[in-house]
Amino acid sequence: MNTWLAPSAITWMHRANPVLKLLFVIGLFFVALFTHRTDFMFYQAVLFTLLLFWQSGYSFWKVLLLVLSFGLVFISSSSTMILFGKGDVLWWEWGLFRITEESFYRGIHIGFKSVTIASEGLLFVLTTSSVDMFYALMQKIKLPPKYAYSFMASIRLLPMVWEEFLIRRNALRIRGARSLKGPRGWIAGIKMYAVPLLSQSIRRAHRVAVAMEAKAFDGNGRRTYYYPSRFSRYDPLAAAIFIAAVIAALALSDGLPLFHITDVRYSANT
Amino acid sequence: MGGLHCEAISSNLHAEATGDTVSPAAAVWDLRLKFPEGEAFVFKDLSFSVKRGEKLLVLGPSGSGKSTLLQVLGGIVPGLVEVPMRCSGQVLPASWGMLFQDPDAQFCMPYVDEELAFVLENRGVAREEMLPRMHDVLRKVGLDLKEIHLPIGTLSQGMKQRLALASILLMDPDVLLLDEPSALLDPEGRRQIWEAVSEVAEDRTLIIVEHRIEELLDLGLVDRVALFGPSGQLLGQGAPEELFVRCRKELGEYGIWHPGVWSHFRFSAGSQIEQGESIQPGSGPFLPSAERLDRPIIELSEFRGFRGHQKVIQVERAEVYAGDFIAVTGPNGAGKSSLLLALMGLLPSEGSYLLLGERFGGKRLRKRQVQSLSKRIGFVFQNPEFQFVENRVDQEIGFSLREEGISPEEIRQRVDHALDQFGLAGLEQRHPYQLSLGQKRRLSVAGAAVLKRPVLLLDEPTFGQDAVNTFAILNLCEDLRRSGVAIVMVTHEEQIAEAVATRRWEVREGTLTDYGYTDRGTRLPHHICEAGMAEAML
Repeated sequence: MNTWLAPSAITWMHRANPVLKLLFVIGLFFVALFTHRTDFMFYQAVLFTLLLFWQSGYSFWKVLLLVLSFGLVFISSSSTMILFGKGDVLWWEWGLFRITEESFYRGIHIGFKSVTIASEGLLFVLTTSSVDMFYALMQKIKLPPKYAYSFMASIRLLPMVWEEFLIRRNALRIRGARSLKGPRGWIAGIKMYAVPLLSQSIRRAHRVAVAMEAKAFDGNGRRTYYYPSRFSRYDPLAAAIFIAAVIAALALSDGLPLFHITDVRYSANT
Repeated sequence: MGGLHCEAISSNLHAEATGDTVSPAAAVWDLRLKFPEGEAFVFKDLSFSVKRGEKLLVLGPSGSGKSTLLQVLGGIVPGLVEVPMRCSGQVLPASWGMLFQDPDAQFCMPYVDEELAFVLENRGVAREEMLPRMHDVLRKVGLDLKEIHLPIGTLSQGMKQRLALASILLMDPDVLLLDEPSALLDPEGRRQIWEAVSEVAEDRTLIIVEHRIEELLDLGLVDRVALFGPSGQLLGQGAPEELFVRCRKELGEYGIWHPGVWSHFRFSAGSQIEQGESIQPGSGPFLPSAERLDRPIIELSEFRGFRGHQKVIQVERAEVYAGDFIAVTGPNGAGKSSLLLALMGLLPSEGSYLLLGERFGGKRLRKRQVQSLSKRIGFVFQNPEFQFVENRVDQEIGFSLREEGISPEEIRQRVDHALDQFGLAGLEQRHPYQLSLGQKRRLSVAGAAVLKRPVLLLDEPTFGQDAVNTFAILNLCEDLRRSGVAIVMVTHEEQIAEAVATRRWEVREGTLTDYGYTDRGTRLPHHICEAGMAEAML
């Protein structure tokens, strides 16, 4: 499992400081959020998806698998707006569904927005290990160690919970515990798993906490760091890539507009 | 928590006060401690002290408060874990480190070097000094890793425990507190952790709580033993050789794995052999007649089990007869558990698998097959909690009976019988999670065995149990065996494989070898065994 999840190559984006990447990704979220020009949004979605292929360090097929799931993100976020949004130029109507030209374009605009944000977030997650991120947050923006270490310790516990889930599933199959149909069966089924898994996890978390404190961890005291978090020449590079992507999207939407919509928001006077 | 806390006084002050020439490494006077949910005191007016450089072993039955005492001596109670307690005085060690029981619940980082760095960071050690110190402690505990940026998950349980010891050594403790560090390890891991402890024990005070003490005593590490009774009273203390003779009866009673504990059990198992009891055909629902006893219940040939596409277990030929008690031994990760899962139809398999003449197995997993296999084979998991499905002990035992559609009246009778047989009478109304470790284990066997299926598979049922519980489980399995059930038990316990089981399988690197009958198996006067022997001779 571990080898499958590890990136096959280390890119500039991996070497850049997690704090810088985090700030940029948050900034890019806002750029996407306040983009109302459909062409600009479209090119952002395209460019950040391409960036994901280029800089994530994962093989083409693995990234493709993830990007294909964006199709689902696109459809689920755009369909509601397409089917129910406000608009004047009616294309199709059936019962509650009412597709207008305005709602259609606004729908796909929102779809592009979701894809952009998804690929930006994924780029961050795929190029940043949790340990690197928390070390950087503790050193660069003074995140209290107690939060950083409680996250890192709980990430370590997750695979154990998964293993226990598999054991419990086998045990229930052998005991022949039949699940009831309907919502009551659902609740009973969740309880069947939640009670043993939670009781194990809570006990283990408590033991880990005592063991950590027994190793002189006090949560807030002064400490040294095994991994130094420094800024390097990869940080301006990563920043340049992000900024270039946004500028390129803007330039392409001017030079090669596909939708010709400058503001997708609904206004009644059109 | 409204309890009064001890006033910790420095060891020098106390030495002056009491006129001691040698101050203790850790001590507590007139300790009173009670858990908020408990009815009785765990300790009442206990005074206890440990000399500098002393190697002390604390023994006592489960629930006698040994671990709590260890935590009080280190200051974890009430410092980190709030428990109401009171005492007239206390000496806390100047520096201490604690090794816990569960190898998986001591680490907060994913890699070996990061975990060791965690301790050094806590102590504010400069970055440049970190790597040499890590290598130094790893060498001391006998963990020679080529690359220390290694995921902790890839280490064996025994190695994890030595890593935990290494991380404690980074704190340079005067006093080492060891809370059953070998209870969840296999014999190899136990030997290694105690060797590592004795390597680093010089110039340090050791306070050890442990049930399994054979390996520990072999090293001659301990110079004083303190024995506690069930209600936290100190029964006696002294040098190991002297105390073990004086308190032999209590040690047996409290389930402590003292040297020679197995010789008693062997005797009681031996007496059953001399009674010459034969298997009672017909007492199990699937064994109606005597002639069926001569045919194997399970026949495997050219059998292979897979996880994903990887072959994890391979059996050229193996048979299980009624009345067999088969011990399955072998190193961790060799494929013992995979064998059991493949027999339950939970792993895809190839080759021939006959159960009572019916063909099972196959490349595809089928729900129906698991269902029909589990009607014929009972399964006991390593961790009992994962197999409980009901909220009350009696319902848990009756669960599979109800699934079979047996009448409520008969269910009640059989559940009552099982409650008596498995020592759970009076606990019917409890939630299974509220039972003690040993009771949970017995309940899990009861739930799987109440239907008297022809085969019972057990995955390390005695793991982490004290001697009393282990013997109780072995006796229950022996009763089932004599009623015609075939027992297949995965175990690390060499004594079970040699003296209790009738046959032995060994799994090494995914391949099963049938070692045939044990001494006990050949001595048993059962006609099945003779028939089986005759076949084995051919």
